[in-house]
Amino acid sequence: MALTRREFLKWSGTAGAAAAALCLGFDLKPVKSYAAELKILKAKETTTICPYCGVGCGLIVHTKKSGKLLNAEGDPDHPINEGALCAKGAALYQMTVNKNRIKTPLYRAPESDEWEEIGWDEAFEKIAEKVKETRDATFTEKNAKGQVVNRTTGIAHVGSAALDNEECWVLQGIMRALGLVYIEHQARI
Amino acid sequence: MAGKFFFIDTTRCTACRGCQIACKQYKKHSVSKTKQYGTYQNPIDLDANTFRLVRFSEHPSKVNSMVWYFFSEACRHCLKPGCQKKVEQIKKDAIIINDFGAVLYTDKMQGLEKSSKAIKQACPWSIPNWSKKEKQMVKCNMCYDRVEAGLLPACAKACPTGAINFGDEAEMKKLANECLAAAKKKFGGKGEILDSEDVRVLYLIIDEQAKYRPVA
Repeated sequence: MALTRREFLKWSGTAGAAAAALCLGFDLKPVKSYAAELKILKAKETTTICPYCGVGCGLIVHTKKSGKLLNAEGDPDHPINEGALCAKGAALYQMTVNKNRIKTPLYRAPESDEWEEIGWDEAFEKIAEKVKETRDATFTEKNAKGQVVNRTTGIAHVGSAALDNEECWVLQGIMRALGLVYIEHQARI
Repeated sequence: MAGKFFFIDTTRCTACRGCQIACKQYKKHSVSKTKQYGTYQNPIDLDANTFRLVRFSEHPSKVNSMVWYFFSEACRHCLKPGCQKKVEQIKKDAIIINDFGAVLYTDKMQGLEKSSKAIKQACPWSIPNWSKKEKQMVKCNMCYDRVEAGLLPACAKACPTGAINFGDEAEMKKLANECLAAAKKKFGGKGEILDSEDVRVLYLIIDEQAKYRPVA
């Protein structure tokens, strides 16, 4: 019977370690098997990029068949981080699984000290309304020297670090089209 | 499987706490309630949710105005664990050492709440903690499920600076000696490997032990 040491240990655990050790002349005393199945063993692996800063570390995300997130860890094959992660990257799991995560837009009325949950439609309408109003009020076609500038300094935009390259490109396009000059990104601050 | 060792080069640690969070993430531990203690170290000590903690210590220095030491701490997986010796007196085979040297607390540890203090004190570094949720003492298990599958422990895998290394005994001891020589060259002859004959986690430090850890 050909058995590796590991298989032997697992097998002997069920058959009775003492008896097995006696028959085969093994000394099992210092070594004991205490095995658990790796929880990410049969999980589906998906690669992704950490959204938190400009470094762009690669991750492998493990999900169950049901789509439930199990684990997220550094991708050893990624050329940037080679499997390593910082504290923020290592906590990427919480971007999806976190009961403190805000799921609806929040609105704080002028003079109020409370945030109230509002729907997406309402939030978009409000933002659009304010953008139009502010842009109309602050748009400058020419600067003091008479040069054409076509800009608004009344609005600033701060991008989230959870945006990917493509989303940033679209946002940049929209903001420039509106005439914004203050365009910033959280990861640079 | 040959005995596994950690080698932790504290001179390379930048205290990003990637190891601490990677450990928490892999083991799905929740947060611990904490407050501002006047240091970046958080939480203040290992607990039932925190198996690995980066300790921050500041000290005045003659060369620079201060030195700042980081010490990523978890169970050392002793070759002859004090906790095991203590628990053997109460319950047989509750703590086992597996085939690559990880000191593991089995389910038999459940219900030893009365002895939890004694078990904690039996550890030279007071590593194990009582978990109310699991109703037993808990600590780092060397991610033995990962190691058995040929993966690195979560902390060693996450470490971006190469401070935490994990591998076979010979490989880690060789690396430790190389890094010690390099550290001695860089930091004026100072440097030592802590408890290299007794534990499976080799720490390279370049100052007094007590400066890295309040009680060492």
